Amino acid sequence: MLDRRKFIRRSLQSACVAGAVPQLFLPEVVSAGQESVLAVRKGEDIPALVRKTVEALGGMGRFIKPGETVVVKPNIGWDRAVEFAANTHPQVVQTVVQLCLDAGASKVQIFDRTCNDPRRCYVSSGIQQVIEELKSKKAEIVHMDRRAYKELDIANGKALSRWSFYMPALEADCLINLPIAKHHSISTLTLGMKNLMGVIGGNRGMLHRKIADSLADINSVIHSDLTLVDATRILVANGPQGGRLEDVEVRNTLIASPQIATADAYAATLFGYQPYEIETIKAGHQRGLGEIDLSRVKQV
Amino acid sequence: MRISRHWRIIAQALSLVGFLWLFLQTEYRGTDELAYPVSLLFRLDPLALISAVSAPGKTDLLSFWPAILLLILTLVLGRFFCGWFCPLGTLLDLLGGPLRRVRNRFGGWPKAKYYLFVVLVISALCGLQLFGLLDPLSIFLRSLTLAINPVWNLLANGSFDWLYQADLPLVSPVADFLYPFFRDHLLAFRQPIFLLTIFTAVFLLILILLERVQARFWCRNLCPLGAFLGICSRHSLLQREPQQDCTDCRICSTECRMGATSDLSNHKAECIRCLDCLDFCPNERVEFSFKHGTVRDFDLSRRSLLAATAGGALLAPLAAAAPLSAGYRNDLIRPPGATAEDEFLSRCIRCGECMKVCIGGALHPDLLRGGAFSLWSPVLVARLGYCEYDCTLCGQVCPTGAIKQLKVEEKRKTKIGLAVIDKNRCLPFARGEECLVCEEHCPTGKKAIVFDRRKVLAGSEPLELLQPRILPELCIGCGICETRCPVSGTSAILIVSEGESRTPQKLL
Repeated sequence: MLDRRKFIRRSLQSACVAGAVPQLFLPEVVSAGQESVLAVRKGEDIPALVRKTVEALGGMGRFIKPGETVVVKPNIGWDRAVEFAANTHPQVVQTVVQLCLDAGASKVQIFDRTCNDPRRCYVSSGIQQVIEELKSKKAEIVHMDRRAYKELDIANGKALSRWSFYMPALEADCLINLPIAKHHSISTLTLGMKNLMGVIGGNRGMLHRKIADSLADINSVIHSDLTLVDATRILVANGPQGGRLEDVEVRNTLIASPQIATADAYAATLFGYQPYEIETIKAGHQRGLGEIDLSRVKQV
Repeated sequence: MRISRHWRIIAQALSLVGFLWLFLQTEYRGTDELAYPVSLLFRLDPLALISAVSAPGKTDLLSFWPAILLLILTLVLGRFFCGWFCPLGTLLDLLGGPLRRVRNRFGGWPKAKYYLFVVLVISALCGLQLFGLLDPLSIFLRSLTLAINPVWNLLANGSFDWLYQADLPLVSPVADFLYPFFRDHLLAFRQPIFLLTIFTAVFLLILILLERVQARFWCRNLCPLGAFLGICSRHSLLQREPQQDCTDCRICSTECRMGATSDLSNHKAECIRCLDCLDFCPNERVEFSFKHGTVRDFDLSRRSLLAATAGGALLAPLAAAAPLSAGYRNDLIRPPGATAEDEFLSRCIRCGECMKVCIGGALHPDLLRGGAFSLWSPVLVARLGYCEYDCTLCGQVCPTGAIKQLKVEEKRKTKIGLAVIDKNRCLPFARGEECLVCEEHCPTGKKAIVFDRRKVLAGSEPLELLQPRILPELCIGCGICETRCPVSGTSAILIVSEGESRTPQKLL
């Protein structure tokens, strides 16, 4: 769901692109008139790494106009300490939130519908602490407000026709998706598209039966303006909640793209998969969520 | 109103508010260790002390220093705890007032509580601890946990939600402004839901309604803690003057809420030192001082005492004659750190602290799973909530050592049960659909649920899919798989008590 401002902006963007490029040259419907862009950077200094990755895409100012409201959605799903790579690295979250504030965001909210007890997850992940350290009145980490879920129709949904969504994530001017790259036994991997399961209501376990189409349906409703996959360390087994240091691999990598499927596609290669081997990513591509043939993606 | 009575009412109010505040702190607040001694009420409880001492296994007597101090003070001052500090007594004073009849001729059975106390002590010494059922502090706290707090949360949240959605002018903005304070300080993080809520509420309601029969009916006639403190008060030094009704007035006989003063004498074991008589005496004759006075006999009949002793002694074998519930059912899951079942039942004072603090909403009061005398003791009902992998709160709050305090590393290795799959309902087995939510949530570092890739026939169609399998050596029975299993109603994966650490002989 789009708010009015964003709808106008996006319509204009699409209209410009569609007008400029002759229809025949468009590669399928898939990228909806937009070229998929991808930035991948490596480095051990996490704040610097975040900055240079976002800079490569043109800086946070490309995604956030001054005065806009922002939701940053890390993975805070599990009651695990930072080193177990179950949740997004707190420094990644902190730097992204700082960049949002620097870009002039009027309000940055951070939240996740967790799997373990929310209070424990927020504390153990280290994310609550780093947001509080920012000491900004504009940035707040909040627990989900049970009143703010709303059932919405999913137009052209393949697995779902209606589901409960967390409205603050939809109503923000900009949604920044901050997944951590992890092994997951049913969707093989959990990346950006799966991370948005943290802003929906309902019995999420049901979705696992048709996980790929369900995730594509969800992501067709909630649009991530920017997806930044945290692969500073990745969980290669016993995911998504981990708990063993043996299963964690340090990769010092960040992957960013405005197209969620494109970010996920690259992240899949870190685990030795081809993007089309992951059903969710394939479904995302078919639903217009980004190019997943990395040779056709513009790397910046 | 005389100044001394003022003090008593202030003490009652402060102590009630204090215990309510400790109750609200009985919750995870961002640190693994609780910041306050939330179970102080039971460290103060002489009945909890008797339960712990009479139970098998070692008891840390030092942790009961407040109870010991209370007993010493009672020897000196009499049954002041009942009048000044007992939260149930305060609650009865508060709610009973409007219920009371002006004229009341019911004489009561003040001796009944002593007989009851004898029954409970003897049965505890014989191995069946029933104090928990009738301990006034347990009644107070578990009613708060299981009934009052859930209802309070439902009402408050319901009202806030309604005002939020109705968006009334003036009222709604005020409610929305107040909501964060309520949410952060007075309401539970998530709506508490418990089994036995109605049963527990009815139990408390009966005690309140008995106020209509007689003021402080419970305290005068039934309370075993009152009886114990009364016995300790018999020779207490603080003495009321005059020691019996004055011949020209006799108002004490009708006005004393405990019926402690009659034409015969002032009964120290019944007097709760509420100091009301200082106020209602028309001639201001009453005073309390450390003088030597007469000691009135309890007047208990020897025959009844013998009957009470025999009754208490017979209760234990009566309970033991029933088949052990562990022998024929497997759904009795106790909290991590729980001692072996016989010791557990002897120690557990049924206070409900562990259920209040349980972060996953997993612990519920038992009705019959653990046998007829397991009522209100904590059991893990995994379909309603699971045991959080890194949480050790229940052991921290347990006042009697029924649940041992575990370090988080020990806790992670403590098996409270074992998950078993119901293949008739589990989606990959029953319907050939992939699911795997249980595996996703399994918290043990190396997962206790793994997948087998199997070829199955769906009709005549060959199908390849992942099917879950439990590794019993890794499963600790935390129950998150049962909580999260997406099939509706009863889960397709169940926690059974097999293999629990506290009874190793149950492992296959």
